[in-house]
Amino acid sequence: MAFGWGVQMSNPESFGPPIRSEFAGDPDMLELVEEFVRELPGRAASLSASYDQGEIESVTRLTHQLSGACGGYGFGEIGEVARDLECRLKKMGSAAELLTVREQVDELVSMCSRVVV
Amino acid sequence: MTESGNNTTEFTRHRVLIIDDAEDVHRLLGARLKQERLELLSALDGRTALEMAREQDPSLVLLDLDMPGMDGFEVLRHLKASDETHEIPVIVLSGLQSPADKVTAFDLGAVDYITKPFDLMELRVRVRSALKMADLINMLAQRAHIDGLTGLYNRIAFDERWAQSTAENQRHAKPLSLAIFDLDHFKSINDTYGHPAGDEALRTFARLLQRECRQSDVPCRFGGEEFVLIMPETGPDAAAAVCNRIREALEAIEWPAHPERRVTVSCGVLGADNTATISPSDWVQATDEQLYAAKNGGRNRVMVSRADRADQSLRQTG
Repeated sequence: MAFGWGVQMSNPESFGPPIRSEFAGDPDMLELVEEFVRELPGRAASLSASYDQGEIESVTRLTHQLSGACGGYGFGEIGEVARDLECRLKKMGSAAELLTVREQVDELVSMCSRVVV
Repeated sequence: MTESGNNTTEFTRHRVLIIDDAEDVHRLLGARLKQERLELLSALDGRTALEMAREQDPSLVLLDLDMPGMDGFEVLRHLKASDETHEIPVIVLSGLQSPADKVTAFDLGAVDYITKPFDLMELRVRVRSALKMADLINMLAQRAHIDGLTGLYNRIAFDERWAQSTAENQRHAKPLSLAIFDLDHFKSINDTYGHPAGDEALRTFARLLQRECRQSDVPCRFGGEEFVLIMPETGPDAAAAVCNRIREALEAIEWPAHPERRVTVSCGVLGADNTATISPSDWVQATDEQLYAAKNGGRNRVMVSRADRADQSLRQTG
Protein backbone atom coordinates (compact mmCIF):
# COMPACT_ATOMS: atom_id res chain seq x y z
CA MET A 1 0.00 0.00 0.00
CA ALA A 2 2.68 2.41 -1.00
CA PHE A 3 0.19 5.17 -1.77
CA GLY A 4 -1.95 4.62 1.27
CA TRP A 5 -5.19 3.50 -0.45
CA GLY A 6 -5.94 1.26 2.47
CA VAL A 7 -6.57 4.29 4.62
CA GLN A 8 -8.98 5.71 2.04
CA MET A 9 -10.93 2.51 1.77
CA SER A 10 -11.41 2.13 5.48
CA ASN A 11 -12.57 5.72 5.77
CA PRO A 12 -13.76 7.00 2.41
CA GLU A 13 -15.42 10.16 3.74
CA SER A 14 -12.16 11.71 4.71
CA PHE A 15 -11.02 11.86 1.05
CA GLY A 16 -14.15 13.17 -0.56
CA PRO A 17 -17.92 12.85 -0.65
CA PRO A 18 -19.48 9.44 -1.32
CA ILE A 19 -20.33 8.73 -4.96
CA ARG A 20 -23.83 7.38 -5.54
CA SER A 21 -25.14 5.37 -8.47
CA GLU A 22 -27.56 7.24 -10.72
CA PHE A 23 -29.60 4.02 -10.74
CA ALA A 24 -29.95 3.74 -6.97
CA GLY A 25 -33.72 4.21 -7.32
CA ASP A 26 -34.17 1.64 -10.09
CA PRO A 27 -35.50 -1.61 -8.60
CA ASP A 28 -34.34 -3.59 -11.66
CA MET A 29 -30.82 -2.45 -11.02
CA LEU A 30 -30.59 -2.35 -7.26
CA GLU A 31 -29.20 -5.81 -6.73
CA LEU A 32 -26.67 -5.45 -9.52
CA VAL A 33 -25.52 -2.04 -8.35
CA GLU A 34 -25.10 -3.39 -4.83
CA GLU A 35 -22.96 -6.22 -6.11
CA PHE A 36 -20.93 -3.85 -8.25
CA VAL A 37 -20.41 -1.52 -5.31
CA ARG A 38 -19.33 -4.44 -3.12
CA GLU A 39 -16.73 -5.47 -5.69
CA LEU A 40 -15.41 -2.05 -6.59
CA PRO A 41 -13.04 -1.48 -3.64
CA GLY A 42 -11.44 -4.86 -4.37
CA ARG A 43 -10.94 -3.85 -7.98
CA ALA A 44 -9.49 -0.54 -6.91
CA ALA A 45 -7.07 -2.40 -4.65
CA SER A 46 -6.01 -4.67 -7.55
CA LEU A 47 -5.53 -1.64 -9.77
CA SER A 48 -3.46 0.08 -7.15
CA ALA A 49 -1.35 -3.04 -6.53
CA SER A 50 -0.75 -3.55 -10.27
CA TYR A 51 0.26 0.06 -10.57
CA ASP A 52 2.68 -0.24 -7.68
CA GLN A 53 4.23 -3.30 -9.34
CA GLY A 54 4.52 -1.46 -12.66
CA GLU A 55 2.37 -4.09 -14.43
CA ILE A 56 1.17 -1.99 -17.31
CA GLU A 57 -0.90 -4.74 -18.97
CA SER A 58 -2.82 -5.47 -15.83
CA VAL A 59 -3.35 -1.74 -15.12
CA THR A 60 -4.67 -1.26 -18.65
CA ARG A 61 -6.99 -4.27 -18.44
CA LEU A 62 -8.46 -3.26 -15.08
CA THR A 63 -8.90 0.33 -16.23
CA HIS A 64 -10.55 -0.85 -19.44
CA GLN A 65 -13.03 -2.93 -17.47
CA LEU A 66 -13.86 0.01 -15.22
CA SER A 67 -14.28 2.32 -18.19
CA GLY A 68 -16.69 -0.12 -19.81
CA ALA A 69 -18.72 -0.91 -16.74
CA CYS A 70 -18.92 2.10 -14.42
CA GLY A 71 -21.15 4.16 -16.68
CA GLY A 72 -23.53 1.26 -17.09
CA TYR A 73 -23.95 0.89 -13.32
CA GLY A 74 -24.70 4.56 -12.84
CA PHE A 75 -21.20 5.78 -12.06
CA GLY A 76 -20.65 7.83 -15.20
CA GLU A 77 -18.21 10.17 -13.55
CA ILE A 78 -15.87 7.31 -12.61
CA GLY A 79 -16.32 5.83 -16.09
CA GLU A 80 -15.07 9.04 -17.66
CA VAL A 81 -11.98 9.19 -15.47
CA ALA A 82 -11.31 5.53 -16.32
CA ARG A 83 -11.80 6.19 -20.03
CA ASP A 84 -9.34 9.11 -20.07
CA LEU A 85 -6.83 7.02 -18.18
CA GLU A 86 -7.34 4.09 -20.52
CA CYS A 87 -6.63 6.34 -23.53
CA ARG A 88 -3.35 7.47 -22.04
CA LEU A 89 -2.37 3.95 -21.00
CA LYS A 90 -2.91 2.66 -24.51
CA LYS A 91 -0.56 5.22 -25.96
CA MET A 92 2.27 4.22 -23.64
CA GLY A 93 5.32 2.50 -25.05
CA SER A 94 6.76 1.21 -21.78
CA ALA A 95 5.91 0.59 -18.15
CA ALA A 96 8.20 3.45 -17.18
CA GLU A 97 5.62 5.88 -18.54
CA LEU A 98 3.19 4.70 -15.86
CA LEU A 99 4.68 7.39 -13.65
CA THR A 100 3.05 10.07 -15.81
CA VAL A 101 -0.46 8.90 -14.88
CA ARG A 102 0.02 8.56 -11.16
CA GLU A 103 -2.42 11.32 -10.36
CA GLN A 104 -5.15 9.85 -12.53
CA VAL A 105 -4.68 6.39 -11.07
CA ASP A 106 -4.87 7.93 -7.61
CA GLU A 107 -8.06 9.71 -8.51
CA LEU A 108 -9.66 6.62 -10.02
CA VAL A 109 -8.76 4.44 -7.04
CA SER A 110 -10.01 7.09 -4.66
CA MET A 111 -13.31 7.42 -6.49
CA CYS A 112 -13.80 3.65 -6.58
CA SER A 113 -13.35 3.48 -2.85
CA ARG A 114 -16.00 6.13 -2.25
CA VAL A 115 -18.91 4.46 -4.03
CA VAL A 116 -22.14 3.73 -2.21
CA VAL A 117 -25.46 2.42 -3.51
CA MET B 1 -43.33 -25.59 -44.06
CA THR B 2 -46.82 -24.29 -43.49
CA GLU B 3 -48.34 -20.87 -43.04
CA SER B 4 -48.73 -21.39 -39.32
CA GLY B 5 -45.07 -22.39 -39.21
CA ASN B 6 -44.12 -18.96 -40.48
CA ASN B 7 -45.85 -17.20 -37.64
CA THR B 8 -44.12 -18.98 -34.82
CA THR B 9 -41.14 -16.62 -34.95
CA GLU B 10 -43.26 -13.98 -33.23
CA PHE B 11 -43.76 -16.19 -30.22
CA THR B 12 -40.38 -17.77 -29.80
CA ARG B 13 -37.82 -16.07 -27.62
CA HIS B 14 -35.09 -14.45 -29.60
CA ARG B 15 -31.61 -15.61 -28.77
CA VAL B 16 -29.14 -12.77 -28.37
CA LEU B 17 -25.39 -13.38 -28.16
CA ILE B 18 -23.51 -10.79 -26.10
CA ILE B 19 -19.78 -10.56 -26.79
CA ASP B 20 -17.82 -8.51 -24.28
CA ASP B 21 -14.67 -9.18 -22.30
CA ALA B 22 -16.10 -7.56 -19.14
CA GLU B 23 -18.38 -9.75 -17.06
CA ASP B 24 -19.94 -6.58 -15.61
CA VAL B 25 -21.35 -5.75 -19.00
CA HIS B 26 -22.99 -9.17 -19.30
CA ARG B 27 -24.66 -8.82 -15.91
CA LEU B 28 -25.70 -5.29 -16.74
CA LEU B 29 -27.23 -6.22 -20.08
CA GLY B 30 -28.94 -9.17 -18.44
CA ALA B 31 -30.69 -6.80 -16.05
CA ARG B 32 -31.34 -4.15 -18.67
CA LEU B 33 -32.87 -6.54 -21.16
CA LYS B 34 -34.78 -8.64 -18.63
CA GLN B 35 -38.17 -7.35 -19.72
CA GLU B 36 -37.51 -8.05 -23.38
CA ARG B 37 -38.06 -11.80 -23.05
CA LEU B 38 -34.79 -12.66 -24.69
CA GLU B 39 -32.56 -15.66 -24.25
CA LEU B 40 -29.14 -14.17 -23.59
CA LEU B 41 -25.92 -15.99 -24.40
CA SER B 42 -22.58 -14.72 -23.13
CA ALA B 43 -19.15 -14.88 -24.67
CA LEU B 44 -16.15 -13.26 -23.00
CA ASP B 45 -13.78 -13.48 -25.97
CA GLY B 46 -13.86 -13.49 -29.75
CA ARG B 47 -12.96 -17.13 -30.41
CA THR B 48 -15.64 -18.46 -28.07
CA ALA B 49 -18.09 -15.99 -29.58
CA LEU B 50 -17.54 -17.21 -33.14
CA GLU B 51 -18.03 -20.80 -32.04
CA MET B 52 -21.24 -19.92 -30.21
CA ALA B 53 -22.54 -17.90 -33.15
CA ARG B 54 -22.08 -20.94 -35.40
CA GLU B 55 -23.55 -23.45 -33.01
CA GLN B 56 -26.39 -21.49 -31.40
CA ASP B 57 -27.54 -19.45 -34.39
CA PRO B 58 -28.55 -16.33 -32.44
CA SER B 59 -31.07 -13.81 -33.85
CA LEU B 60 -28.84 -10.91 -32.87
CA VAL B 61 -25.29 -10.25 -31.73
CA LEU B 62 -24.31 -7.41 -29.37
CA LEU B 63 -20.61 -6.90 -29.91
CA ASP B 64 -18.01 -4.99 -27.91
CA LEU B 65 -15.14 -3.65 -30.06
CA ASP B 66 -12.38 -3.18 -27.56
CA MET B 67 -11.44 -6.66 -26.41
CA PRO B 68 -8.01 -8.18 -25.76
CA GLY B 69 -6.86 -10.81 -28.27
CA MET B 70 -9.33 -10.87 -31.13
CA ASP B 71 -11.00 -7.47 -31.12
CA GLY B 72 -14.58 -6.69 -32.12
CA PHE B 73 -13.75 -5.62 -35.66
CA GLU B 74 -12.01 -8.94 -36.21
CA VAL B 75 -14.98 -10.84 -34.76
CA LEU B 76 -17.30 -8.87 -37.04
CA ARG B 77 -15.13 -9.67 -40.07
CA HIS B 78 -15.26 -13.39 -39.25
CA LEU B 79 -19.01 -13.35 -38.63
CA LYS B 80 -19.65 -11.69 -41.96
CA ALA B 81 -17.21 -13.91 -43.87
CA SER B 82 -18.85 -17.18 -42.85
CA ASP B 83 -21.90 -18.54 -44.67
CA GLU B 84 -23.23 -19.86 -41.38
CA THR B 85 -23.20 -16.52 -39.58
CA HIS B 86 -23.19 -13.71 -42.14
CA GLU B 87 -26.93 -13.14 -41.91
CA ILE B 88 -26.97 -12.59 -38.13
CA PRO B 89 -27.47 -8.87 -37.46
CA VAL B 90 -24.78 -7.30 -35.30
CA ILE B 91 -25.16 -4.25 -33.07
CA VAL B 92 -21.84 -2.84 -31.98
CA LEU B 93 -21.83 -1.80 -28.35
CA SER B 94 -18.70 0.16 -27.74
CA GLY B 95 -16.89 2.73 -25.67
CA LEU B 96 -15.12 3.87 -28.84
CA GLN B 97 -16.96 6.98 -29.91
CA SER B 98 -15.00 8.21 -32.92
CA PRO B 99 -16.84 8.52 -36.25
CA ALA B 100 -14.06 6.51 -37.88
CA ASP B 101 -14.81 3.50 -35.63
CA LYS B 102 -18.51 3.80 -36.36
CA VAL B 103 -17.90 3.97 -40.10
CA THR B 104 -15.60 0.94 -39.95
CA ALA B 105 -18.21 -1.02 -37.98
CA PHE B 106 -20.97 -0.24 -40.50
CA ASP B 107 -18.63 -0.94 -43.42
CA LEU B 108 -17.91 -4.36 -41.95
CA GLY B 109 -21.63 -5.11 -41.80
CA ALA B 110 -22.91 -3.94 -38.40
CA VAL B 111 -26.58 -2.88 -38.44
CA ASP B 112 -26.29 -0.42 -35.56
CA TYR B 113 -23.84 1.19 -33.16
CA ILE B 114 -24.53 2.02 -29.52
CA THR B 115 -21.96 3.89 -27.47
CA LYS B 116 -21.20 2.97 -23.88
CA PRO B 117 -22.32 3.91 -21.34
CA PHE B 118 -25.63 3.21 -22.99
CA ASP B 119 -28.96 4.71 -22.16
CA LEU B 120 -31.42 2.07 -21.01
CA MET B 121 -34.32 3.05 -23.24
CA GLU B 122 -32.10 3.62 -26.25
CA LEU B 123 -30.58 0.18 -25.83
CA ARG B 124 -33.99 -1.47 -25.59
CA VAL B 125 -35.48 0.23 -28.63
CA ARG B 126 -32.41 -0.38 -30.75
CA VAL B 127 -32.40 -4.08 -29.84
CA ARG B 128 -36.13 -4.30 -30.56
CA SER B 129 -35.73 -2.54 -33.85
CA ALA B 130 -32.88 -4.80 -34.97
CA LEU B 131 -34.85 -7.93 -34.02
CA LYS B 132 -37.95 -6.70 -35.83
CA MET B 133 -35.94 -6.02 -38.95
CA ALA B 134 -34.33 -9.46 -38.73
CA ASP B 135 -37.78 -11.08 -38.38
CA LEU B 136 -39.05 -9.25 -41.44
CA ILE B 137 -36.04 -10.25 -43.50
CA ASN B 138 -36.45 -13.88 -42.40
CA MET B 139 -40.13 -13.79 -43.20
CA LEU B 140 -39.50 -12.39 -46.68
CA ALA B 141 -36.79 -14.95 -47.30
CA GLN B 142 -39.20 -17.70 -46.25
CA ARG B 143 -42.06 -16.31 -48.27
CA ALA B 144 -39.86 -16.24 -51.34
CA HIS B 145 -39.51 -20.00 -50.90
CA ILE B 146 -43.13 -20.81 -50.12
CA ASP B 147 -45.94 -21.51 -52.54
CA GLY B 148 -48.83 -19.22 -51.65
CA LEU B 149 -51.68 -21.62 -52.43
CA THR B 150 -50.41 -24.77 -50.75
CA GLY B 151 -47.84 -23.55 -48.22
CA LEU B 152 -45.34 -26.06 -49.63
CA TYR B 153 -41.87 -25.11 -50.79
CA ASN B 154 -41.89 -23.61 -54.26
CA ARG B 155 -39.70 -24.21 -57.30
CA ILE B 156 -36.95 -21.87 -56.05
CA ALA B 157 -36.72 -23.77 -52.77
CA PHE B 158 -36.78 -27.06 -54.65
CA ASP B 159 -33.80 -26.05 -56.80
CA GLU B 160 -31.79 -25.25 -53.67
CA ARG B 161 -32.76 -28.37 -51.77
CA TRP B 162 -32.23 -30.59 -54.79
CA ALA B 163 -28.73 -29.19 -55.30
CA GLN B 164 -27.95 -29.93 -51.62
CA SER B 165 -29.45 -33.42 -51.75
CA THR B 166 -27.67 -34.48 -54.93
CA ALA B 167 -24.38 -33.10 -53.60
CA GLU B 168 -24.85 -35.27 -50.48
CA ASN B 169 -25.53 -38.28 -52.68
CA GLN B 170 -22.36 -37.60 -54.70
CA ARG B 171 -20.15 -36.99 -51.68
CA HIS B 172 -21.26 -39.78 -49.41
CA ALA B 173 -23.00 -42.22 -51.77
CA LYS B 174 -26.11 -41.84 -49.65
CA PRO B 175 -29.38 -43.13 -51.08
CA LEU B 176 -31.62 -40.49 -52.62
CA SER B 177 -34.85 -40.53 -54.57
CA LEU B 178 -36.94 -37.99 -56.40
CA ALA B 179 -40.62 -38.24 -57.24
CA ILE B 180 -42.70 -36.03 -59.52
CA PHE B 181 -46.48 -36.15 -59.08
CA ASP B 182 -49.02 -34.80 -61.52
CA LEU B 183 -52.74 -34.75 -60.75
CA ASP B 184 -54.63 -36.69 -63.44
CA HIS B 185 -57.00 -34.79 -65.71
CA PHE B 186 -56.61 -31.67 -63.58
CA LYS B 187 -57.77 -29.35 -66.35
CA SER B 188 -61.03 -31.26 -66.58
CA ILE B 189 -61.60 -30.85 -62.79
CA ASN B 190 -61.13 -27.10 -63.20
CA ASP B 191 -63.33 -26.96 -66.27
CA THR B 192 -66.08 -29.16 -64.86
CA TYR B 193 -66.29 -28.00 -61.24
CA GLY B 194 -64.67 -24.55 -61.38
CA HIS B 195 -61.36 -23.16 -60.19
CA PRO B 196 -62.23 -23.27 -56.46
CA ALA B 197 -62.62 -27.05 -56.83
CA GLY B 198 -59.29 -27.19 -58.65
CA ASP B 199 -57.60 -25.15 -55.92
CA GLU B 200 -59.14 -27.40 -53.30
CA ALA B 201 -57.73 -30.46 -55.05
CA LEU B 202 -54.25 -28.86 -55.08
CA ARG B 203 -54.44 -27.86 -51.41
CA THR B 204 -55.77 -31.24 -50.35
CA PHE B 205 -53.06 -33.08 -52.25
CA ALA B 206 -50.43 -30.77 -50.73
CA ARG B 207 -51.70 -31.56 -47.21
CA LEU B 208 -51.77 -35.25 -47.99
CA LEU B 209 -48.24 -35.11 -49.38
CA GLN B 210 -47.08 -33.43 -46.21
CA ARG B 211 -48.89 -35.89 -44.00
CA GLU B 212 -47.83 -39.06 -45.79
CA CYS B 213 -44.17 -38.26 -46.38
CA ARG B 214 -41.51 -38.66 -43.70
CA GLN B 215 -39.88 -35.95 -41.59
CA SER B 216 -36.74 -35.80 -43.75
CA ASP B 217 -38.64 -35.69 -47.06
CA VAL B 218 -39.03 -32.36 -48.82
CA PRO B 219 -42.37 -31.85 -50.58
CA CYS B 220 -42.57 -28.94 -53.05
CA ARG B 221 -45.07 -27.57 -55.51
CA PHE B 222 -43.27 -27.59 -58.83
CA GLY B 223 -45.85 -25.48 -60.60
CA GLY B 224 -49.43 -25.97 -61.87
CA GLU B 225 -50.67 -29.40 -60.78
CA GLU B 226 -47.13 -30.79 -60.52
CA PHE B 227 -45.53 -31.62 -57.17
CA VAL B 228 -42.13 -33.03 -56.33
CA LEU B 229 -40.90 -34.96 -53.34
CA ILE B 230 -37.21 -35.19 -52.47
CA MET B 231 -36.56 -38.29 -50.39
CA PRO B 232 -33.10 -38.26 -48.78
CA GLU B 233 -31.67 -41.53 -47.43
CA THR B 234 -34.22 -43.41 -49.52
CA GLY B 235 -33.55 -45.85 -52.35
CA PRO B 236 -35.94 -46.36 -55.29
CA ASP B 237 -37.88 -49.28 -53.78
CA ALA B 238 -38.68 -47.53 -50.51
CA ALA B 239 -39.44 -44.33 -52.45
CA ALA B 240 -41.90 -46.14 -54.69
CA ALA B 241 -43.64 -47.52 -51.60
CA VAL B 242 -44.00 -44.02 -50.13
CA CYS B 243 -45.37 -42.69 -53.42
CA ASN B 244 -47.82 -45.54 -53.78
CA ARG B 245 -49.12 -44.84 -50.30
CA ILE B 246 -49.66 -41.22 -51.33
CA ARG B 247 -51.32 -42.24 -54.58
CA GLU B 248 -53.70 -44.60 -52.76
CA ALA B 249 -54.51 -42.05 -50.08
CA LEU B 250 -55.53 -39.50 -52.70
CA GLU B 251 -57.66 -42.00 -54.57
CA ALA B 252 -59.48 -42.83 -51.34
CA ILE B 253 -60.57 -39.26 -50.68
CA GLU B 254 -64.25 -38.39 -51.16
CA TRP B 255 -64.84 -34.87 -52.38
CA PRO B 256 -67.84 -32.95 -51.02
CA ALA B 257 -67.82 -30.64 -54.05
CA HIS B 258 -67.87 -33.55 -56.52
CA PRO B 259 -68.77 -36.85 -54.82
CA GLU B 260 -69.10 -38.57 -58.18
CA ARG B 261 -65.51 -37.83 -59.16
CA ARG B 262 -62.35 -39.11 -57.49
CA VAL B 263 -59.03 -37.35 -57.99
CA THR B 264 -56.01 -39.47 -58.87
CA VAL B 265 -52.34 -38.80 -59.38
CA SER B 266 -49.60 -40.19 -61.59
CA CYS B 267 -46.07 -40.38 -60.33
CA GLY B 268 -42.57 -40.92 -61.68
CA VAL B 269 -39.77 -41.95 -59.33
CA LEU B 270 -36.04 -42.05 -59.96
CA GLY B 271 -33.89 -43.23 -57.09
CA ALA B 272 -30.38 -44.29 -56.23
CA ASP B 273 -29.07 -46.58 -53.49
CA ASN B 274 -25.53 -45.48 -54.29
CA THR B 275 -23.85 -42.58 -56.04
CA ALA B 276 -25.96 -41.51 -58.99
CA THR B 277 -24.49 -41.80 -62.48
CA ILE B 278 -26.46 -38.85 -63.86
CA SER B 279 -26.37 -35.09 -63.26
CA PRO B 280 -28.94 -33.41 -60.99
CA SER B 281 -30.75 -31.84 -63.95
CA ASP B 282 -30.77 -35.10 -65.93
CA TRP B 283 -32.15 -36.77 -62.81
CA VAL B 284 -35.12 -34.40 -62.82
CA GLN B 285 -35.53 -34.92 -66.57
CA ALA B 286 -35.43 -38.72 -66.22
CA THR B 287 -37.93 -38.59 -63.34
CA ASP B 288 -40.22 -36.58 -65.57
CA GLU B 289 -39.89 -39.32 -68.18
CA GLN B 290 -41.05 -41.85 -65.58
CA LEU B 291 -44.03 -39.63 -64.89
CA TYR B 292 -44.72 -39.51 -68.62
CA ALA B 293 -44.58 -43.30 -68.70
CA ALA B 294 -47.06 -43.46 -65.80
CA LYS B 295 -49.42 -41.16 -67.69
CA ASN B 296 -49.08 -43.21 -70.86
CA GLY B 297 -49.53 -46.43 -68.93
CA GLY B 298 -53.04 -45.37 -67.93
CA ARG B 299 -52.51 -42.82 -65.09
CA ASN B 300 -53.12 -43.35 -61.33
CA ARG B 301 -49.85 -45.27 -61.04
CA VAL B 302 -46.23 -44.97 -59.94
CA MET B 303 -43.36 -45.73 -62.34
CA VAL B 304 -39.92 -46.19 -60.87
CA SER B 305 -36.39 -46.45 -62.21
CA ARG B 306 -32.83 -46.15 -60.98
CA ALA B 307 -30.37 -43.27 -61.15
CA ASP B 308 -27.33 -45.31 -60.10
CA ARG B 309 -27.13 -47.91 -62.86
CA ALA B 310 -26.67 -48.06 -66.60
CA ASP B 311 -29.71 -50.33 -66.73
CA GLN B 312 -32.56 -47.90 -66.09
CA SER B 313 -35.37 -50.21 -67.09
CA LEU B 314 -38.93 -49.10 -66.45
CA ARG B 315 -40.94 -50.77 -63.77
CA GLN B 316 -44.47 -50.18 -62.83
CA THR B 317 -45.44 -50.50 -59.21
CA GLY B 318 -49.04 -50.28 -58.21
